[in-house]
Amino acid sequence: MTAPALVRREATRGAAHVAPRHGWRQDLIGWSFALPFVILFGVFLALPILAAFLFSFTSFGLRDITNPIGASVVGVDNYAKLLSDAKFWKSLGNTVYFVVVGVPLTLALGLVIANALSRGITRFRTAFRVGYYLPVITSIVAIAVVWRFLLNPDFGLINLLLAKIGVNGPNWLANPALAMPSIIAMAVWRNVGFAMVVFVAGMQAIPSMLYEAASIDGAGRWQSFRYVTLPMLRPTILFMLVITTIGYLQLFEEPFVMTNGGPLDATLSVTMYMYQQGFQFFHQGYASAIAYVLFVIVAIVAFLQFRFLRSET
Amino acid sequence: MTAIRARSATPPIPGGTAGQRASGGWWIYLLLILGVLLMVGPFLWMLLGSLKPQAEFLVTTPTFLPKAATTDNYQRLFSQLDFPRFFFNSTVVALVVTAGNVLFCPMLGYALAKLEWRGKRLIMGLVLATLMVPAGITLIPNFVLMRNLGLVNTYPGLILPFLVGPFGVFLTRQFMYGIPNELLEAARIDGANEWRTYWQVVMPITVPVLATLGILTFLGSWNSFLYPLVMAQEPNMYTLPVALATFATGQYQADHGMLMAGSVVLVLPVLVIFILFQRWITEGIATTGLK
Amino acid sequence: MILTTLRSPLLAIALVVALVAAACGTNNGSGNAGGASGAPASAGGSQAAGSEPAGSGAASPAANLSGDLTVWAMGNEGTKLTTLADAFMKANPGVKVSVTPVDWGQAVAKLTTAIAGNTTPDVSQMGTDMMGQFGATGAFDPVPADIDASTFFQSAWNTNQVGGVASGVPWYVETRLLYYRTDIATKAGITSPPATWDDLIAMAKAMKEKGGAKWGISLGTKNWQEYFPFLWQNGGDVVDASGNPALNSPQAVEALTFYDSFFKAGLTPKSVPEGFDITPAFVKGDNPMFFSGPWHLGLIDTAGGADFKDKWAIAPMPKKVTATSFLGGSNMVVYKNSKNKDAAWAFVKFVSDPTTQALWYKTVTDLPAVQAAWDDPTVKGDANVALFGAQLKDTKAQPVSATWSELSSAINDTLEKMTTGGMEPQAAADQMQKDAMSIGVK
Repeated sequence: MTAPALVRREATRGAAHVAPRHGWRQDLIGWSFALPFVILFGVFLALPILAAFLFSFTSFGLRDITNPIGASVVGVDNYAKLLSDAKFWKSLGNTVYFVVVGVPLTLALGLVIANALSRGITRFRTAFRVGYYLPVITSIVAIAVVWRFLLNPDFGLINLLLAKIGVNGPNWLANPALAMPSIIAMAVWRNVGFAMVVFVAGMQAIPSMLYEAASIDGAGRWQSFRYVTLPMLRPTILFMLVITTIGYLQLFEEPFVMTNGGPLDATLSVTMYMYQQGFQFFHQGYASAIAYVLFVIVAIVAFLQFRFLRSET
Repeated sequence: MTAIRARSATPPIPGGTAGQRASGGWWIYLLLILGVLLMVGPFLWMLLGSLKPQAEFLVTTPTFLPKAATTDNYQRLFSQLDFPRFFFNSTVVALVVTAGNVLFCPMLGYALAKLEWRGKRLIMGLVLATLMVPAGITLIPNFVLMRNLGLVNTYPGLILPFLVGPFGVFLTRQFMYGIPNELLEAARIDGANEWRTYWQVVMPITVPVLATLGILTFLGSWNSFLYPLVMAQEPNMYTLPVALATFATGQYQADHGMLMAGSVVLVLPVLVIFILFQRWITEGIATTGLK
Repeated sequence: MILTTLRSPLLAIALVVALVAAACGTNNGSGNAGGASGAPASAGGSQAAGSEPAGSGAASPAANLSGDLTVWAMGNEGTKLTTLADAFMKANPGVKVSVTPVDWGQAVAKLTTAIAGNTTPDVSQMGTDMMGQFGATGAFDPVPADIDASTFFQSAWNTNQVGGVASGVPWYVETRLLYYRTDIATKAGITSPPATWDDLIAMAKAMKEKGGAKWGISLGTKNWQEYFPFLWQNGGDVVDASGNPALNSPQAVEALTFYDSFFKAGLTPKSVPEGFDITPAFVKGDNPMFFSGPWHLGLIDTAGGADFKDKWAIAPMPKKVTATSFLGGSNMVVYKNSKNKDAAWAFVKFVSDPTTQALWYKTVTDLPAVQAAWDDPTVKGDANVALFGAQLKDTKAQPVSATWSELSSAINDTLEKMTTGGMEPQAAADQMQKDAMSIGVK
């Protein structure tokens, strides 16, 4: 059996093993696995989320906190207001910008590093893995302090290096055009380790037999990556794509810490705007509406990604 | 069945199975090293910063190495804060939350990936939907719920909303899709029911993903801040990040040294756990070769 | 971030807001004068810690007070409040006071959820610009009639009016003065601090051109607390006599134009990094002037060291029509749901006693809100602090408004557009007025 055929066979093993239909017995088994999760989930996740959804149709504010039921219903007013809210649209544009650039960068880099670690080198793997993962677990406080130092226009490391090659470095975070790219760089830096960890785990599950078969067929390093690694990693890549997109659409910490949404709202993300509205100004109803609009966007994007990538199995 | 048993007991191939053609040129090492420096540099800076006296933070040009290294920041950190208590709180909460996720999420993940049952699509949809709702929106509803259950300022109050999460389900489901059905069929033919199959066949294979899930969950819980803040009304229930923020930040000028020291302390446990767990990830499974 | 976003998007809030808060701090006490008295902040800390309250705290008559009292305090005040708590408990042995420190960054969130979940403390500190927001929930107990408003600075008392009812008692205040480099001024040929607006801008110009400083002054690009004093000095205000917004009055436009002129003339930087700390820049001489409150006295001393002492001074606000400065600070509020209102109000009266106020000043250098406390020799003794005391006679604060958080944020946005984005002062004033009308000032 040739390598591609082997890969194809392996990759299609994913379908659920449809046992002979025994009706309620199957249901019982399925539910017995699902129940603990579903109960906890229902009470502590689903219920609050539902409550927040209901809030989005009210003008829930600080005055309603002691009597949530008494909040006045305003129908779809919050959503209508969103449509004409310039700040909201700006935040949406910023977020989309961030996602469109940040997700591919993060995944590509994560994949490259994971591949280099798993197949490119043999020694010091642990050390590299730990090293790359460090930003993921380092507190955002330290990261903020350091990156602010890096990007400082007068004595930051980046501008210092640029000066060495004769370039006058700009004020990265105070320049509306450069602030978001700086945030993207920081976020990618922070999350590459996470992508790497997941891809490494995924690559561990690829049977080496496939690589052997490929090399017997005469495949070089790039070809075995393209024809063995990538297809076998498809579920993992899909998973990471969806997770990363969902995460990045909820961009919050980096701009909050570094620029507070500025300069001139250039780095204001949707979640930041939601936080401002909900926790600083206490328009909890409005904030809930923002959250659910974001949710719809995320859902659509994830759905499309699923569709697009899965249909090729 | 014996084949399955044997597989689980196969000693891991050093360096993992994917490292067959590991003929890395030196340039790969070089690039990787450069990358790692980029990643690790800030952490080093943080570590060195925790050894600097406050005055060294006030200079306009930040330095790398401390001029007058001191353990004063750590001393103050441990004396001004009821450190053992906060550490304990964070640990308990993070461990239980991790255990809950690692235990319950794969169960549902397996059920979604490999079983057929009524309501399956609905549950999957709901779980996936939850993943996409921005966090923070449920803070107040959750708090009011806890209030009504009388769980404010208690461990259960800190733990319950996070005991399971959609991420773990999603992660394990995706992974379990890739488990060859022949394995499960073989187990069933041998007479095992679904539960035995799950624990004796599926779980050992899933270890790398469980380890990943464990690390990520622990990390998330350990660094979690806002929820413990509102749920812990008294300092004796504060978790470490909350305590650090409350006591280490001055109003007009953060106590940089103490913040750095606190950040180091905050990072260390997760780092240790990661170093321990990531070995499991590397211990790959042997090739299927089920033929 | 991917996972942590799902878990806790708000780790940054508290940990970093404090870092970032530097100049734009909302509610301010005074500097953390380094003293690590190390009072362990465990709950119910009622040990007589090392600090000596020295039996102060007036002759409180109510020796029959009893029960538990929970008090929340923020920031620096939170960590040091046990000093006052101990003194109170000494005078009232039947009461057990537990102090819970809360970081400013999370204060709003914590208070909100406490009110939502009905788990408010008996007493808490309340920033003057938070009074409106939380007062609107109806959570505060009205101030009893036996607390005399006239003992406090008038503008401080005005900050406790929620719906026309006095709902808190001023605890400490802060106001802003001009910090400036005397040596750079001398070099620039200026011998006395600026007395008028014209003096101020001339001085900034001179310091930059002749004094050898990089800039003339450091003004916030988006800080309503720095703009409002100019508005007030010009005879304008946020609201007019009937309480309606007046942010585009001619006085306002003039004040905005003046404020903007510093930026237009390149006397103050247009791009200020987030979390910028003025202290090292001031010591270095890059920014030789800035406005701030009493907390910077200690910070500059620490940063500058012994030989820096004679190179700087503070000066009162310059005068246009008046020389008004900004008033901030915190009040003490008692919650309606408190189960021990007697002890709660006794505690509030205790901290408002002039002797206690002077003790509090000694502990954290917060400026007393009680006028009589300023007669205390320790308070009077420091020349710099006395200057703050003098300024306190002419201060104003923002209106008490349930929507202040949102409105101030919108004002800041507009200020930023004007100072860095090229918006003209008239347009900025109109925008502020528009926001005030739609968001509300009540």
